[in-house]
Amino acid sequence: MVYNNKNRWFDYAIFGLTVFLIFCLLFEQYIELPSVVAWLGRWHPMVLHFPIVLLLIVLFLGLTGRPIPRSLFVVAVLSALVTAISGFFLGTESDSKGELLVWHQWMGAGVALISVFWYTLDGVGLGQKFYSKALQIVLIVLIGFTGHYGGMVTHGEDFLALPLNKKRKAIPENPMIFADVVNPILDQNCVACHNPNKKKGSLLMTSWASLLKGGESGKTILVGDSGNSELIRRLLLPLDDEEHMPPDGKKPLSPDEIKILERWIALGASDTVRLDQLAPEESLVGLVKNLMEPDPLVKWADLPKVADSTLQNLDSDYVTIERVSGNSQALRIDVYLPPVYDAKAITDLKRIGSNIVELDLSGLPIGVEEMAFVASCANLEWLELDRTPITDAEVEMLRNLKQLRMLKIYNTKIGDQSAAVLKEMENLKRVYLWETGLSSAALVELKLKRPNVLIDTGIDEETKAFFVATDTIAKIEDK
Amino acid sequence: MANDKKNNESPLKVNRRHFFSQLSVGIGSLALGSLLIPDLFKSDTESLSSMPLGIPHFAPKAKRIIYLFQAGAPSQLETFDHKPTLRKRMGEDLPESIRNGQRLTGMTSEQKTFPLMPPAVEFHQHGKSGAWISDFFPHIAKIADEICIIKSMHTEAINHDPAITFFQTGSQISGRPSMGSWMSYGLGSENKNLPSFVVLTSRGKGNSQGLYSKLWSSGFLDSKHQGVLLRSGKDPVLYLNDPDGISRSDKRHLLDQVSSLNKLHHVETGDDEIESRIAQYEMAYRMQMSVPDVMDVSKEPESIIKLYGEDCQVPGTYAANALQARRLAENGVRFIQLYHQGWDQHGNLHNEMAGQAKDVDQASAALIMDLKQRGMLEDTLVIWGGEFGRTNYCQGKFDPKNYGRDHHPRAFSIFMAGGGVKPGITYGETDEFGYNIIENPVHINDFHATLMYAMGLDHEQLTYKYQGRRFRLTDVAGNVINDLIA
Repeated sequence: MVYNNKNRWFDYAIFGLTVFLIFCLLFEQYIELPSVVAWLGRWHPMVLHFPIVLLLIVLFLGLTGRPIPRSLFVVAVLSALVTAISGFFLGTESDSKGELLVWHQWMGAGVALISVFWYTLDGVGLGQKFYSKALQIVLIVLIGFTGHYGGMVTHGEDFLALPLNKKRKAIPENPMIFADVVNPILDQNCVACHNPNKKKGSLLMTSWASLLKGGESGKTILVGDSGNSELIRRLLLPLDDEEHMPPDGKKPLSPDEIKILERWIALGASDTVRLDQLAPEESLVGLVKNLMEPDPLVKWADLPKVADSTLQNLDSDYVTIERVSGNSQALRIDVYLPPVYDAKAITDLKRIGSNIVELDLSGLPIGVEEMAFVASCANLEWLELDRTPITDAEVEMLRNLKQLRMLKIYNTKIGDQSAAVLKEMENLKRVYLWETGLSSAALVELKLKRPNVLIDTGIDEETKAFFVATDTIAKIEDK
Repeated sequence: MANDKKNNESPLKVNRRHFFSQLSVGIGSLALGSLLIPDLFKSDTESLSSMPLGIPHFAPKAKRIIYLFQAGAPSQLETFDHKPTLRKRMGEDLPESIRNGQRLTGMTSEQKTFPLMPPAVEFHQHGKSGAWISDFFPHIAKIADEICIIKSMHTEAINHDPAITFFQTGSQISGRPSMGSWMSYGLGSENKNLPSFVVLTSRGKGNSQGLYSKLWSSGFLDSKHQGVLLRSGKDPVLYLNDPDGISRSDKRHLLDQVSSLNKLHHVETGDDEIESRIAQYEMAYRMQMSVPDVMDVSKEPESIIKLYGEDCQVPGTYAANALQARRLAENGVRFIQLYHQGWDQHGNLHNEMAGQAKDVDQASAALIMDLKQRGMLEDTLVIWGGEFGRTNYCQGKFDPKNYGRDHHPRAFSIFMAGGGVKPGITYGETDEFGYNIIENPVHINDFHATLMYAMGLDHEQLTYKYQGRRFRLTDVAGNVINDLIA
């Protein structure tokens, strides 16, 4: 290879920058950058794309044994050095570097230095040696990891995580407001930039203490005063405002999420308070409960598709079929008593059985045939069988309805055997069973076994007696 | 010219002429007419099809509403807004700083002083929630933990007609669809054998204001969404029953013949409204069976009669209507609107309110308890309240024994129960005079938005394009009050 003058100057530049980079890395803690130089660091996110592409091209040529144009090699190595140095400048802006950033820094420096080394080897004609090839493979791996770590610093650690893993984990019963509700919201929306690696605005949002400590703009949270808290102020700014958080291009928080943060701050931003310690009229209770109860539409998303035309065919004057909402595949069906009753009206619904989540058969003269259909509706959550001629035998058939949440069986002839079935319905939340053949002993036992199920046995005797007793208004008039 | 003539005789116009020529225009026939001829004033089908109608926008909390409207405006100061200050400062003039320029009705605008009046009745706290409820309402007090009291309702209207029209239609000026019609339009019918919007009226002995059918009109919406007034007595729906001497099979035969003629006409003109008409004739035919069935309370057991009070066996009373409301709800009517007249206490407040309260207290509470034991409170929203509040000062001469209260739009109380509304809470607060809201105001638009939300509708999405613009129940305002939703 022939060295001309111009090439030599490039070599000097590469040598100089290499020395400077090594100097920076060695004496990092003693370096105090003037702001103009620090500003140069801001170009890092733009410049970094050049070495990645250029080095990969050069590496491709090198590994396939093709001649590498010297000028291309020079530009690639120079850009790697410039990127590493600008990255170093940018890094000095955060006062304590997180683990991710440290890794990124050293690997980035590694890429630059190894490429310089390889450039030198290539310059003296050792480019095709086996150790040179090994170096090139190391370089490829290093570029990949440096890029990935850099990406994690910018976009958050779970940026590339599969959507499945990102799902918010279920909120436990009676959750801690901070740990189980507020923190996951911050985790999902804020921590990508406010973590030990990035620490935008010197604000850490990874823990309760660091959140309360605040950052560059002072306190993030004024305990008890959500209206004047910086956090809420920024969340509520118009989307195009410079200070709006999360910044441009990132998904803003939902109104409900903002409200949860607002109320949590207003109530004292405690890290120990639990849901059941809040007053029932507190709006945070409702917001948290909404989060706890998964959106039914999501739950029903996996139901088989059912066409509108199918529904229209099955729909009749006495059978109303509705989608639970919008384009949901979940169905709600009401059946009313026609002048001439035929079990077929109900059993015909079998083909959409697995889509039915709510079924109202109140007051119909249903028998075993219809109940066999009901028992086949595996996704049933809401079932009204009140005022029907069902007995224990029919209730027994409901055993397989694992999703059942609400059951109305008041005013029927069911007896104590039904209580055994009810006891085993895992998801049952509410059951209405007054005016049945159930003995009071069986009821007491059922209530004992299933303390979390609301068992409505009709209006309580005391209230009933009060309603039947003399009207109290007459006495006021007498005064 | 030939073309012009053709346009003039478009199917739409022919239909309207037929409507007027074939139905004698009695006021009662409107109720049935609206059922027979849907889509009469429907203008463009496109705006309707742009959004799936008849399906909630999101999973609803409530599937139906029973609105116990207390027409005439019951005083909040004798129902749910406990203000001991008024007793302490009885006879004192209402401070100008509190009244703050509030406009007055013609009835008190000449009044020189505004002496504060104490509540005509004692208040006590009830239930676990400790809600303040006046002694006029012992039964509602008994079920205090089932209801959600809102003490901070406010409106702009100051006279009955605009105020009640505002409550029912979202506008003080009549002509907009009633909220029951909006629900029917947005959610469709749950039971095809009954109208989706039904109205029942009753009247107490107190000073009453008129009720007009415009309150349950469908306005510019399809007339099938119009409220159907069910009358007490032999014919709940006028002209629904067959005339004497016509048997049900004769009627069937008649309908079949009419239907085949209509089908011929449909083949000729291709007008879809003819099909709707055939369907509505059929619905009316089915209603001949379903309406008497749902109106027949004779099968109700003794315990239920006792619960609502013996009055519920007397057709036309509030108690009878309340029981009826439950039966209609059970049968899938979306919106059941009751009106109880006689709450306009400009004078003789003590006696009149006691009487009015006696009419509605037990039956209202019984309805809620009855719905609860049937599991229907889970998906039925019950609302109780009037069109505005009443002043904390006396109308006319100051006489602590016999006084009245004028209209007051700035703060009044209503309550709701079931249908996804938080039970056992009191929402909103007024100042010590019960005059201004100091916490959590709920405007009528907010109230409507919240009801629609409970029913699974987005109040900003449910629109109808008419005369060049899209209309909503909440017009251009309204926020869902999430704090009320369980």
